[in-house]
Amino acid sequence: MHDAGPQASATPEGSVLSLPAELTIYTVGELHPAWLAWAGAGGQRVDGSAVDQVDAAGLQLLLALARSLQARGTPLRLAGASRVLEEGCAALGLAGWLAQHHEGAPA
Amino acid sequence: MKPDADQSFIAEALPAFISEAEEQLGALEQLLLQLEDAPEDRELLDALFRCAHTVKGSAGIFGLDAVAAFTHHVESLLDRLREGQVRLTPALSTLLLRCNDQIRALVGQAGRGDTADDPGAEAERAALVVQLQAAGGTAPAAAGAPAPPTAAPSAAGPAAAAAGDRAWHVSVAFGSETFRNGMDPLALLNYLRGLGQIPQLACDIEAVPALEALDPEACHLAFELALLTEAGRDEIEGAFSFVREDCQLHVLAPGATPDDYARLIESMPDNPRLGDILVASGAITRGQLQHALRAQGDAAASGTPQPLGEILQATAGVAPQIVAAALNKHSRGREAAAGPTAPAAAEETGGRFIRVQADRLDAVINLLGELVIAGAGANLLARQTRQGALIEANGQIVRLIEEIRNGTLQLRMVPIGETFSRFRRVVRDTAAELGKDVALELVGGDTELDKSMVERIADPLMHLVRNALDHGLETPAQRSEAGKPAQGRLVLSACHESGSVLIAIEDDGRGIQRDKVLARAWERGLVEPGVRPADEDIDRLIFAPGFSTAEKVTNLSGRGVGMDVVKRNIEALRGTVTLRSVPGAGSRIEIRLPLTLAIIDGFLVGVGGSRFIFPLDAVVEVIEPRGALATTDAHGRRTVELRGQVLPVVALRALYGLGGDEPARPSIVVLRAGTRRFGVLVDQLLGQHQTVIKPLGRMFRSLRGMAGSSILGNGEVALIFDVPALGQLAEAPPAPHTPAHPVPHHPGRGAAVPATVPHEGQAS
Repeated sequence: MHDAGPQASATPEGSVLSLPAELTIYTVGELHPAWLAWAGAGGQRVDGSAVDQVDAAGLQLLLALARSLQARGTPLRLAGASRVLEEGCAALGLAGWLAQHHEGAPA
Repeated sequence: MKPDADQSFIAEALPAFISEAEEQLGALEQLLLQLEDAPEDRELLDALFRCAHTVKGSAGIFGLDAVAAFTHHVESLLDRLREGQVRLTPALSTLLLRCNDQIRALVGQAGRGDTADDPGAEAERAALVVQLQAAGGTAPAAAGAPAPPTAAPSAAGPAAAAAGDRAWHVSVAFGSETFRNGMDPLALLNYLRGLGQIPQLACDIEAVPALEALDPEACHLAFELALLTEAGRDEIEGAFSFVREDCQLHVLAPGATPDDYARLIESMPDNPRLGDILVASGAITRGQLQHALRAQGDAAASGTPQPLGEILQATAGVAPQIVAAALNKHSRGREAAAGPTAPAAAEETGGRFIRVQADRLDAVINLLGELVIAGAGANLLARQTRQGALIEANGQIVRLIEEIRNGTLQLRMVPIGETFSRFRRVVRDTAAELGKDVALELVGGDTELDKSMVERIADPLMHLVRNALDHGLETPAQRSEAGKPAQGRLVLSACHESGSVLIAIEDDGRGIQRDKVLARAWERGLVEPGVRPADEDIDRLIFAPGFSTAEKVTNLSGRGVGMDVVKRNIEALRGTVTLRSVPGAGSRIEIRLPLTLAIIDGFLVGVGGSRFIFPLDAVVEVIEPRGALATTDAHGRRTVELRGQVLPVVALRALYGLGGDEPARPSIVVLRAGTRRFGVLVDQLLGQHQTVIKPLGRMFRSLRGMAGSSILGNGEVALIFDVPALGQLAEAPPAPHTPAHPVPHHPGRGAAVPATVPHEGQAS
């Protein structure tokens, strides 16, 4: 349906996961297996600067991803967050959570 | 100036207003107490408002300005409660109960035509008004009545503090199907922001599983948030209406106490992190929460305080609407069980009541008593004429009289529930005063009883209830130590049982402490020191005059009005009181009362020249003794075998020293007293008889086994038996403390004949 494929690019210290433009209920079904695979491959950094549409389902998936990474001992690091992503997190009371995972924030 | 006609109308109608207002206030109190179990029941809140509104309105009509002005403040607060702007906390409930007492006092004052102002009461009312305004969040200036400057706002206590904080607390856990149903919690929260401000919002991150375990289209989100809004509960809940079916939504009104949060946490056992989230969201401090949870835990151990609906919702996933519907039903059922409160009863019967003064009704019933006697007399005369038509016509009249009698007596019957429900308040206040936690259960409130009986049983019942609270039930600490739930149980029940009414007061307290009772009895000389009677006899000692085992004389019982007075009052109603107690497990006191005091269906028998009446309800059957009766003792007691069982039999002739010879073919009337049966040996069976009960004269009060007398159609006097007492005479072992001869002289007869009684029993 939408262009939501994982845009993981390989970098020396592991791949960076680019969050898709649309992070919603319509895309979570496709994103889920891709993110799982990415997390299994040792990914840790996520770039959210391209996100321009979110809903609670999309943010829930992001929360789940963070939990998985936490469990692997490699906490999620957010390389960038679009305004939409920041606002979406704030709307769900996740502003603090987002800030905490931002690169440079104390873990 | 009002015209005189108005004045006289008001004077005439005032008593009716007073009595109606008292009823409304009684209903108000009951509703408040019911709401303590279901603080958000909309129907109850509406009924509560209507009660106060009615009182205020009619007080205004009658020019009772003090009542109207004070009630106005209560009404305003009730309105805000009804609108969901204020939540009914226990503190608020107590405040409203106190206000209700004040209104009642004011109404009572108006009823006595007492216009003098009591400055103390006035100051108290003023303080209450301030508290009401603080609790309702209305500024004194806006309330329309001058606020007294004397009472400081700080007097309002916790209610005032709560009123300053206008934030609702919303706890919502979305159902797993939320996304699939096309709902987006994010949009929903944004909609809520449209209603007001959300200063605090916490998402339960931990509720979201890790990626590996996640169904990405299932919703796992849950939020705790504070909402500052002018909107009412309906509007807030309305925001969730599309997801209501599968989300868990709890909306706490502004001013929720730590207890409320604790209850919220208890109600969501599948969310163990809720407490942390609440603390994180700033809804409550950790200390407050821990304290409340501990209290809740204690209470939960006894298994009652958690609202049923929340348990269902949290554990079984029942849709909230279903729970709400079930709860409504439940509360209505409880209302019915507690006896119809005024508004409920009015709705059900369409409000078709006629108020009749009790003494007018009594006059009719007295006349009816005479009519029954006259009818029986006429019937007797008709039979003597042997004219078939006359006998038949008379029979018709007697039947009609009987129907009128039944109908009229029915008019006097009222459900005992009204009396029962008074005890809710008593138990609530008394238990609090004693530091005990007691749940009161009322069973069989719709059992009907003669009105005069209901009135006269209220005091003894009150005493027994207080006694159970004071002596029977232990403090939570003592109970926990004894391995019992911290909350005590007190059950008040009523039911019909073989023509009488059985009222039972049952508690799960410590039971009768026989050692203490015995020690006291020795000390008081009620029992020979060192002698230990049977357990039941020790229990019975608490009914002995002037007996009290309280270690310290409390405010409640032990005021010298002992159980003996209770027993006497009950016996004065032709009732009996029995007690069963299991040490450590509780006591059960049973009161048996006749349905009515006035008229009974009797069974007339003759012994020699005397006539006796048994209440027909107590008669099981009549048998003819075959052959010689077994042993006879000095009291004329024998035994016969009835269908393989030994039946004790009392011979009235011997018991009361009646003259004459035993006929060749005597009959045994088998009677039932409670669960026991016994027989009475009589000469003649004279059949059913409508019996108007006349009390025995003072001289004959000491007669054992007699309940009253009646005048027969031919002018003869017949004595009416008190069947349970007679049963005791039949069964009591021939111990030395049993009076050798309960009735040495039969009235009018015994003195003349004792020497001629030809009974073998007398000689032995």
